[in-house]
Amino acid sequence: MSHALNGVILLALLLLVALPLLFIVLQALFPYLGEGSWRGAFSAFPALLDDPQLAAMWLGTLKIGGGVALCSLLLGLPLGALRGLFRLPGAALWDLLFLIPFLTPPYIVALSWTLALQRNGYIEQLTGINFDSLLFSSSGMIGVMTLNIFPVVYFAVSRSLLASGQRLAWVARVHGASAWRGFWHITLPLTLPALAGGVLLAFTLAIEEYGVPAALGAQAKLTLMTVGIETKLADWPIDLPGAASLSLMLSLMALTAWLLQRKLTGSSDVTAVGGKPVSQELAHAGRLQILMLLPFAVTVLLAVVLPLGAMTLSGLLNTLSGGLHLSNLTLRHFGALFSQQGDALAAFSTSIGLALGAALLTGALGFLIAWRVSEGKTRLLAMMDGLALLPAAMPGVVVGVGLILLWNRGFWPVSPYNTMFILLLSYSCLLLPWPVRYVSSALRQLAPTLQPAARVHGASRVQALRLIVLPLVAPSLLAAMMMVFAVASRELVTSLLLAPAGTQTVAIFIWRQFEQGSVGQGMAMATLTLCASLSLMLAATVLMRRHAR
Amino acid sequence: MMLTSAIMINDAQALTVYTAGPGSLSKSLAAGFEKQTGIKVNIFQATTGKVMARLEAEQANPQADVLISASWDTAEDLQQRGWLLPFNSANAAKVPNQFKTANYVAQGISALGIVWNTQSNTPEPKTWQDLTAPAFKDNVTTPDPALSGASLDLLIGLQNSEGEKAWQLFDQLKANGMVMSGPNAQAVTPVLQGAKAAVFGAVDYVTYNNIAQGESVKVIFPENGTVVAPRPMMILKSSQHPDDAKKFVDYVLSDEGQEQVAKAWLMPARTDIKAQRPLFTEIKLLPTNQDGSSERSAVLKRFGALFGQ
Repeated sequence: MSHALNGVILLALLLLVALPLLFIVLQALFPYLGEGSWRGAFSAFPALLDDPQLAAMWLGTLKIGGGVALCSLLLGLPLGALRGLFRLPGAALWDLLFLIPFLTPPYIVALSWTLALQRNGYIEQLTGINFDSLLFSSSGMIGVMTLNIFPVVYFAVSRSLLASGQRLAWVARVHGASAWRGFWHITLPLTLPALAGGVLLAFTLAIEEYGVPAALGAQAKLTLMTVGIETKLADWPIDLPGAASLSLMLSLMALTAWLLQRKLTGSSDVTAVGGKPVSQELAHAGRLQILMLLPFAVTVLLAVVLPLGAMTLSGLLNTLSGGLHLSNLTLRHFGALFSQQGDALAAFSTSIGLALGAALLTGALGFLIAWRVSEGKTRLLAMMDGLALLPAAMPGVVVGVGLILLWNRGFWPVSPYNTMFILLLSYSCLLLPWPVRYVSSALRQLAPTLQPAARVHGASRVQALRLIVLPLVAPSLLAAMMMVFAVASRELVTSLLLAPAGTQTVAIFIWRQFEQGSVGQGMAMATLTLCASLSLMLAATVLMRRHAR
Repeated sequence: MMLTSAIMINDAQALTVYTAGPGSLSKSLAAGFEKQTGIKVNIFQATTGKVMARLEAEQANPQADVLISASWDTAEDLQQRGWLLPFNSANAAKVPNQFKTANYVAQGISALGIVWNTQSNTPEPKTWQDLTAPAFKDNVTTPDPALSGASLDLLIGLQNSEGEKAWQLFDQLKANGMVMSGPNAQAVTPVLQGAKAAVFGAVDYVTYNNIAQGESVKVIFPENGTVVAPRPMMILKSSQHPDDAKKFVDYVLSDEGQEQVAKAWLMPARTDIKAQRPLFTEIKLLPTNQDGSSERSAVLKRFGALFGQ
């Protein structure tokens, strides 16, 4: 049975991950592949290197990635340390609030900031000050992305502190060290791997991001690699070899950061939210408590309240030129979503259906992979593990390029191209690492004797898997599937590249509204879907908690 | 899952139409056509650049039956490549000769103008040159001509009629802080909120639609002349359903189809259908001469060098 199962898993990984990547490499090496010719190998690279934009794009991407990593560190470390070391009022609430920026589509946040901060934007209408030149610059882009991404550092630091506990630092205190010395020499070094892992993850997420650079880049006069790839692929005249070579370069950059992160954090999962703290001996801050809450409140204001407020407001304003007046408020944009020949609702159900499909597919596949990998140490299983986790280092735009190069060919008798299956493939490829990582770390915590015990008592392997292993890892698996659902239901760039004619997802619908100048309707749709997906996630969390009790 | 998998099987019988915006128009045309003929239409709607890119990327595996672009040039280019199926619709009789050829015909026509925010505390511009005044310092955007075929037509029109003086105008606009931003709507949206006061060379129908929604902006066709952008509609040779495609073109050029076009604030291609906006006969036009793509790429390169990064 193992052989058959291995075969199925490898076939799935081949289709989802290996083949799209292979076609990117082939297209980059052989520019005339589309004509079925192998001539001119490597000739795309000199042309690419001659492109004067390349260096600017490359440096710009590095700069933005580095800036976001640094700013996420500066914001996430102190907040995470406060959360992990002190007894904080409303700790669970702050955690929840910091999850929201992570779940909000970055391009919507960027567009909301634009409407709030540009000249004559909401902030200027209210206060008379505008931040136009700040927003449309690389600092503005770094700021917007940091507010979206910093939670990974915050959660990495706070979870690591909560998990390691303060016991060792207390030992130092007992032996006469000051509180500061205890933190500096004991606590901080202990969290260093998690911190570094979180910062590298922030870097990877930043260089893979498409929405924010696409929304702010034109006015900031900054083209990042993700946008460059998309332009080469999806704006006339197209340059497939160029898109493929750029994709390779970006993937290498992301892969380097990701491998470094894996090396630093080993197998522990820096993004895992809701890990079980061992012993909570949190310090009391006494009167300083109020002071400590201040940075949390300011961060929530900047990362959640302002952008989401601007988003909701834009959906409620009758006209943009009418400005912020009570008489200019309307619900007509929301109403229009439900008329419009059912387009908005169709987009919504398409996205929900695809996200559900991706969650089920990656959940099932991820569980099987994690379980097979946990059972042995053969080279085949290591390869399986590597292939399954590889998409974590693959930007969405690269996966899109790969799937187009692979399936948009005349020679396939059947092809998912121009059907919704291609969207399912792309979401599943991008998000497969989540269930694999979550289930792997859950499996590692199981006592290795549980399965043999079941087998001794006469259970078959399938029975042991179904009755022992699956129930024990189910909470982790469900959490990962929820994450897959949340990200897939809002995914922008591969949807734009791959959606078949006649099909719109939520993200495409919103993007097209902006493309045609219907800001109000785009924002109304963004508000509705964000509310829907947040309440869905919240309901699932509550259900799971109740079940766990 | 049953439901989603049922949706996922794309109807092989459906007609596939690739079209540049406006999205609401393509939707209502598709709906009207389906109602009349029972043939389902799958729409892929995006900017002209994206539509053309998709068409080109799919050349080994063609998907589109009908293409509607926002730039006359793209049709010319495809014809030279031999990708188009000649078709002369009976309904095209009332389309002026300048807006039809043996292979493609205009669906509707837009014009380029200045889009101006009436509450921006700036004097109402009357000519292109007015945008170089100090009142418009750092207050003007323009679409990227590399992404918007129509705005490239305007640059060429200005160069043809004024020669080097056109380039002096662009230099002055640059000195006055005009910025180039994305396709058409990306240049217009900042003007709605008042982040910028005016757009140099925007496609008009988007703004007419904004005005109908109550935005305080205005479309101005400068006294010294502008250009119109006919939107070519064509059938691809690779189409698996050429008869349905012809029916679709017929429908778009029918009374009902052209009324939908007029409703989207475009000029109908047929002269006998009423528009709800100024017609090309009422706008002062710059001379245009379509003499090959070398001029286009030269203008594009020069303009890009002036306003690019």
